[in-house]
Amino acid sequence: MDRRRFLQLSALTAGGTLLSACGSDSKPQQRPQVAATPSGSITVWSWAGPAAMMKELVPGFVKQFPGVEVDVQDIGNPAIWDKITTGMAAGGQGLGDVLHIGVDYLPAYIEKFPGGLADLTTLGADKHKGAFAQGMWETVSREGKVYALPWEANSAGFYYRADLFEKAGVDVEAITVWDEVIEAGIKLKEKTGAHLLAIDKAATQTDSANLFQFLMQLQDGFYFDMQGNVTIDTPAGVAAMTIIKKLNDAGLVADGGGGWNTMISTIKKGNVAVQPMPTWFGGIIAENAPDQKGKWKVRLPPAVAPGGKVAAIVNSTHLAIAGSSKNQATAFAFAEYVLTRPDSQVHIYKGKGIAPALMAAYDDPIFHQPSEYFSGQKMGEIFLGSLKQPSYVTNYTADYGRALKLVDDAQTKVLLQGADPAAALREAADLLANQTGRKVQR
Amino acid sequence: MTLRAMKLAPYFFILPALALFAIFKLYPIAWSFQLSLFRTEGALQSFAGAANYTRLVADPLFWTALRNTGAVLAVQVPIMLALALALSIAFNSGLLRFRSFVRLGWFLPIVTGPIAYGLLFAVLLNPQSGLVNWALGLDIPWLTDKFWARVALGLALTWHYVGFNAMVYLSRLQALPADQYDAAAVDGAGVWRRFWHVTLPGMRPVIVLTVVMSTIGTLQLFDEPYVLTKGGPDNALLTLGLYLYDNGFRFFDFGYASAIAYALTVIIGVLGIIQFRVLRDRT
Repeated sequence: MDRRRFLQLSALTAGGTLLSACGSDSKPQQRPQVAATPSGSITVWSWAGPAAMMKELVPGFVKQFPGVEVDVQDIGNPAIWDKITTGMAAGGQGLGDVLHIGVDYLPAYIEKFPGGLADLTTLGADKHKGAFAQGMWETVSREGKVYALPWEANSAGFYYRADLFEKAGVDVEAITVWDEVIEAGIKLKEKTGAHLLAIDKAATQTDSANLFQFLMQLQDGFYFDMQGNVTIDTPAGVAAMTIIKKLNDAGLVADGGGGWNTMISTIKKGNVAVQPMPTWFGGIIAENAPDQKGKWKVRLPPAVAPGGKVAAIVNSTHLAIAGSSKNQATAFAFAEYVLTRPDSQVHIYKGKGIAPALMAAYDDPIFHQPSEYFSGQKMGEIFLGSLKQPSYVTNYTADYGRALKLVDDAQTKVLLQGADPAAALREAADLLANQTGRKVQR
Repeated sequence: MTLRAMKLAPYFFILPALALFAIFKLYPIAWSFQLSLFRTEGALQSFAGAANYTRLVADPLFWTALRNTGAVLAVQVPIMLALALALSIAFNSGLLRFRSFVRLGWFLPIVTGPIAYGLLFAVLLNPQSGLVNWALGLDIPWLTDKFWARVALGLALTWHYVGFNAMVYLSRLQALPADQYDAAAVDGAGVWRRFWHVTLPGMRPVIVLTVVMSTIGTLQLFDEPYVLTKGGPDNALLTLGLYLYDNGFRFFDFGYASAIAYALTVIIGVLGIIQFRVLRDRT
């Protein structure tokens, strides 16, 4: 027992060792990249659905560039973040060539591991600048350098069990603000016994404050402002947490402890009526509850305050190229093949419902067809409407991980110990400022 | 073989172990100390002197972690060791039937890896769908309430380590000389007095051993709380090991993580010395 624990500590310190080694020696590697014909072999790191879709795209890519070998690996999510972190800490040792990175991790990799991700402007990324949804290019760029190409742009959505709400006599499409959602939830529970939604109250998973974050983003707010100040307990934050507290106090929130598996099982059981989840979640519902076809509908979320925004890009994922990659040209060609060809994105959307950031892809009829599963709604158009609206560029900063933990803790205090939203958020904001040396903006 | 070669031979024999120790233990230990003096953000570093250590003293989460670890140390460890002692005496009893089977049953949990049994407990204690609540017909918020999460951790740790400690005690118990018991019996000592005046003093060395080992193990506690609740709810199971991991691998703050590691080392060292002083043989 002791020895193994000790090994863990050693592994940590060894990681630090390699890290400092790379800190002192390595400079951002600038390999002159000539527009060479893609050749050789590359490895692609991703997870689950996206990995499966990229595997399907490989034959087409190889047909275009014969002799190229592409190995798409499903590393799993969240395992991929630990694996990329350790790889970066080891100066890029053992990393894949193409890395699929979520917007929540991208800034940390860019800022804390200089040279860890290749600057794609040297590979000609600039020509794709105008091709993506608003705000996407700013998300992947830092000081004139481009570190990734955008893949999916997920808008805030509001998936609901239309059959249950109908039974409760509630017209969901007529709801405009979250206070009305609470009233609807009370009726729903009385008539059907179903909870309105589920939250992982004890924060057993790091993403348990998704709804809070989503409600902040609907108000053009986030944990940090563009200057990097801590903005957790701004009026937007307090409004968001107050809604969550009201929902919970009204007994409308089921406990989603255990994360993903619990969420899937509540969908199957049908005891939770709303999933306030982004675009990509539609595919998950359809895949896991095929028997509930026709029972689900989707709309953009109600606003936090009357007249407020109902559209927000809540998260996005991107393909980056490792700075340590020996075959950056081929890696970039593959990323381009997957992300900048409407055909590829349409294929991926058909397979896994992953919403493209590539605007040209939306010309395909698939985005304008009624969805059989979602009661004949034109789901693609609903979310496209959101993407076309001006988007708030979220500054995740390199300290998103810390912010997330403190927000999780604050939410747990509010939901399980009845804490006051403003006080709990104030405590979190102060602690975050203290840990990161940032200023609090209230 | 010359005398000189004979003299050198032992050093050659220990060289492989020594080299491995130097590369994989000594070097990282030394380097992490240096690292703890730097402010690090991923691969970026700047010399910060004792800043990480002063930050540690002012960090409420560090103290929360320390308090949580202290609570396990003050509550779970004594209960577990007392239970182990009682078990070992039962194992040693002539009245016990199916002796090997029973001993094996209690010992087996230690063979399970911490992640595996942590997951097992997480599934069993799941408040909604766990077997335990179903079997008890209760609705205990294991893992989602601060108090019950600590109880759950204590249960898991006790299940895992009690058999192992009982075996350590048993081995000593079997080595205690029978003549001391005979002498005590002749002097008219009852069962309780024999336990108090013969068994316990005889057990002192292994008790010291298990106390020190459990203390070190508790201070380094990581896997079980990580698997059970990732340190939650609201940091109820946040241990120093978990906080160290979070800072290093979730927040990329390796300098601060190293400072936590060194604080942990100092605490373990000090507690170890105190325990040996207090519990050593008074002869």
